[in-house]
Amino acid sequence: MMRHRRALDDLEREIRDHIERETEDNIGRGMSPDDARQAAFRKFGNVTLAREDARAVWVPQWLDHLRQDLRYGARMLLKNPGFTLVAVLSLAIGVGANSAAFSFADALLLRPLPVPRPADVMTVGSTTTIEEFSTLLASYPELVDIRDRATTFSGLVGFTGATMGFAPDAGASPKLRFGMLVSGNFFDVMEVQPQLGRAFRAEEDRVPGRDAVVVLGHDVWMQQFGGDSSIVGRTVRLNGIDFTVIGVAPPRFAGLYQFARVDFYVPLMMSPRLSADPGARPLEARDNRTLTVKGRLKPGVSLADAQTELSVIGKSLERAYPETNKNRTLTARTELQARIAHDRTDAIVVGMLNTLAAVVLFVACANVAGLLTSRGPTRAREIALRLAIGASRRRVIRQLMTESALIAALGGLLGIFVGDAGVNLFRMIQLPTDLPASLSFELDRRAFVFSLAVAMLSSLLFGLMPAVQATRPDLTAVMKANDTVGFGRRRWGRAVLVAGQVAGSVVLLVIATFMYRNFHRQLGAGPGFRTDRLLMMSFDPTLLRYSTQQSQQFFEQVADRARTIPGVTSASLTSSVPMSSEGPGIVNILPEGFQFPPGKDGVTVLEASIDESYFDTWGLTILKGRAFRPTDSADAPRVAIVNEEIARRYWPQQDPIGKRLRLDDERGPWVEIVGLARNSKYTFLTERPFEFLYLPYRQRPPARMTLVTQAAGDAASLAAPLRNLIHSIDAQQPVYNVRTIEEFYRMRVVTAFNVVIGTVAAMGMMGLGLSIVGLYGLVAYGVSRRTKEIGIRMAIGAGQSNVLSMVLRQGMRLAAIGLLIGLLASEGARRLLAAAFGNASRESDVVPFLVVALIVLAVTLFAAYVPARRAARVNPIVALRTE
Amino acid sequence: MSTEDGPSRVELLQGTLDLLILQTLRPGRAHGHAIAQAIARNSDEVLQVEQGSLYPALHRLIKRRWIVAEEGLSENNRRAKFYSLTAKGRKQLDLETSNWEKLARAIGQILRPRDDEVTP
Repeated sequence: MMRHRRALDDLEREIRDHIERETEDNIGRGMSPDDARQAAFRKFGNVTLAREDARAVWVPQWLDHLRQDLRYGARMLLKNPGFTLVAVLSLAIGVGANSAAFSFADALLLRPLPVPRPADVMTVGSTTTIEEFSTLLASYPELVDIRDRATTFSGLVGFTGATMGFAPDAGASPKLRFGMLVSGNFFDVMEVQPQLGRAFRAEEDRVPGRDAVVVLGHDVWMQQFGGDSSIVGRTVRLNGIDFTVIGVAPPRFAGLYQFARVDFYVPLMMSPRLSADPGARPLEARDNRTLTVKGRLKPGVSLADAQTELSVIGKSLERAYPETNKNRTLTARTELQARIAHDRTDAIVVGMLNTLAAVVLFVACANVAGLLTSRGPTRAREIALRLAIGASRRRVIRQLMTESALIAALGGLLGIFVGDAGVNLFRMIQLPTDLPASLSFELDRRAFVFSLAVAMLSSLLFGLMPAVQATRPDLTAVMKANDTVGFGRRRWGRAVLVAGQVAGSVVLLVIATFMYRNFHRQLGAGPGFRTDRLLMMSFDPTLLRYSTQQSQQFFEQVADRARTIPGVTSASLTSSVPMSSEGPGIVNILPEGFQFPPGKDGVTVLEASIDESYFDTWGLTILKGRAFRPTDSADAPRVAIVNEEIARRYWPQQDPIGKRLRLDDERGPWVEIVGLARNSKYTFLTERPFEFLYLPYRQRPPARMTLVTQAAGDAASLAAPLRNLIHSIDAQQPVYNVRTIEEFYRMRVVTAFNVVIGTVAAMGMMGLGLSIVGLYGLVAYGVSRRTKEIGIRMAIGAGQSNVLSMVLRQGMRLAAIGLLIGLLASEGARRLLAAAFGNASRESDVVPFLVVALIVLAVTLFAAYVPARRAARVNPIVALRTE
Repeated sequence: MSTEDGPSRVELLQGTLDLLILQTLRPGRAHGHAIAQAIARNSDEVLQVEQGSLYPALHRLIKRRWIVAEEGLSENNRRAKFYSLTAKGRKQLDLETSNWEKLARAIGQILRPRDDEVTP
């Protein structure tokens, strides 16, 4: 670089010298000074060319041109600050909104599993034709059968999550931590190398209960053991059993759960020992489907191939084990399919946000396109001029593309900040749980690159328009042309763009208003249970290896003694808190007398095991029959309470009280319905009515229960006395998820609602803002082009109001068309949304449409009025003189 | 390019300008104008060098490190840039000269065959 700088620095002087000498020589030969100089120049040839060629030896020409183009482009942008600002901001909003929405999708749905070649990993499981809660699961014997017979997978692993009492050594009191029970080939098939130590050996997954070995998660290793590398070989305690640490997972891998970070991995074969219930045989029962099975496809095998093979295996299982596998098929799903099936609400919200963001991006790009084309005539003349003085077509086009790329790059850069703001908004959504949750929103690089590419493409494309115009062969026509000639067709295209923009922002606004009203109404209507004055706290006595019997006694004691604490007006037990991220339990039921379609002999419903005070404490209503009683004990006749939805579906127009249903399958116990509960919300506020079954906890004992107490005053003040109470019963008992229901509800529902509504509303406002600019730009452009025509009209007698209304009419015609299209499109979108959210709103809600139509009309009227007024003020004399 | 009358002129073959510059510098250093003059003079004004194209060629040669440029004073005490061959340039010149001679001989033989070789 130094060399070329030195060589080039003197070039100018050298050339001057050269010509000087030649001139002197010529004078020496007797020429006159003038002739001598001319002859010298003639002999030298093209000075500029020589200079440029010499330069080109050192600096590649394209780089030189790029630098010129950039400098020129930057100058053009600075010269039109308004244009630049609007274009850059538009793109920033479009790119930012899209990146943020995609980051949302990434966190909730799209982020691949943290394993090598994640696309090859499929979820496999056994399903019935019942699709309602179709998280794919399998039992251990099924896993073994699939693993032994399937040839399309290079390996299949089974695992289940479990919270356990974790103690770093025998002396420490256990803390609740989340781990995975995994098959022995787990790390091998997932191709995850432990950072320290080793993974499981095949023989450590052969004999139930024999090999107490554990691989620690990276987080817990750092937090609890300070990253001590001598950890391998030491023992930790899980549910009171000593486990030898054999390895530590790498930091990038925190298990295969989407929203939870895993602290430890133990062999599945240890599950019988870790389970508190000595009667439980988690590995033997063919219908104990609690395992998630994931398989890695062999190279070159498609999902369809695997599915074909699994169907065959499923058929043979159905033949071999009719008792447990009747009507069951084996299914394989990609990770994405499995996640969507697992949580439809998330998928819908994600899809909606991304669609809306795409609309914003479209509106933004349309804006930039409009801006760029409106500069067409001016630019075209400038370009024609450059062509006329010898610039090559390619060079001119490249210049324009550099300028557009500059705008897009600036927009993209700013878009990072917009996207980051969005991601920060999303970060407000948290999961109310004590376990290490990993709902992490990161600004997604792929999305950013994608939306930047879209922005780039659209601005490049439309940035070329003036070039296409100007580089047509007839330069003189372009140069002479005043604005009124030759651009009619493009103006039509721009009108379409603007109408599309208005339509897009109408859709955004209608959806935002619709969702706001809906969410607001639902928030107002509430979940159907009280959220104030309640405190929750959870325990899992199996962590201390309580037997089912002991747990039962413990729960009973806790509830009884909680009621005696001053300030407690009611206390109850439940196996699950409504809307908790862990979700309610599920149970298969066979209602008596109900004829299912062939191939289906039961239905899966949501379930909770509760005590006798549950309905009182939560303020839930029993419509008919009774609540549970303490006498609904293990040896009493089995009873259940159904909600309205179950009653409506299986005993329509009948009294459900006294009806019976079987639990689990046709060999399951008969249960008599003693109560009918009003529908409430069970998983999320926007859910459609779910079928829900309540069972007395004494007849269906859960391992883990949550005590919910109602306070006379401030619920939070109950936390301390209740903790003391628990520890007076068992000092070792870990208590977790201590929260007021109010806080829980706010974290789980209200914040998420506000964030989603806020995002949609922000997108609506952005869309509207962008379309205002678009419309304003178009009308203003039209006015500036027609100044002369308006002048003539006024000269021959048109009044200011005539001109005003003429221009307004033109702008508003576009706005009205856009509005109409937008309203139609939003009705479609609203229907999709209503269907997705079930009960969200079946009846048509006209308010959003009215509100949005009014806002859009008012705003577009304003956008058109400003330039129209300018048109009306045109002075005919001045206007006509300018040409 | 030239409009002057004179002996019929020959446009330079592509790439030969480099060779001519190197050859001109063989005896010692020279500045740009002197190189141009020398080429014209030594070819009896037959070879037509557009003087402007000399400079890109000089830069090309500097880049290849066949010649170097240095500041100096010319015969009439004016500051000027002098070009001189490097060792590498000298080697290149020898190589190209011999290549050129081989080529010239071969072409000459084809264009002007000796009679006994053509007809039996």
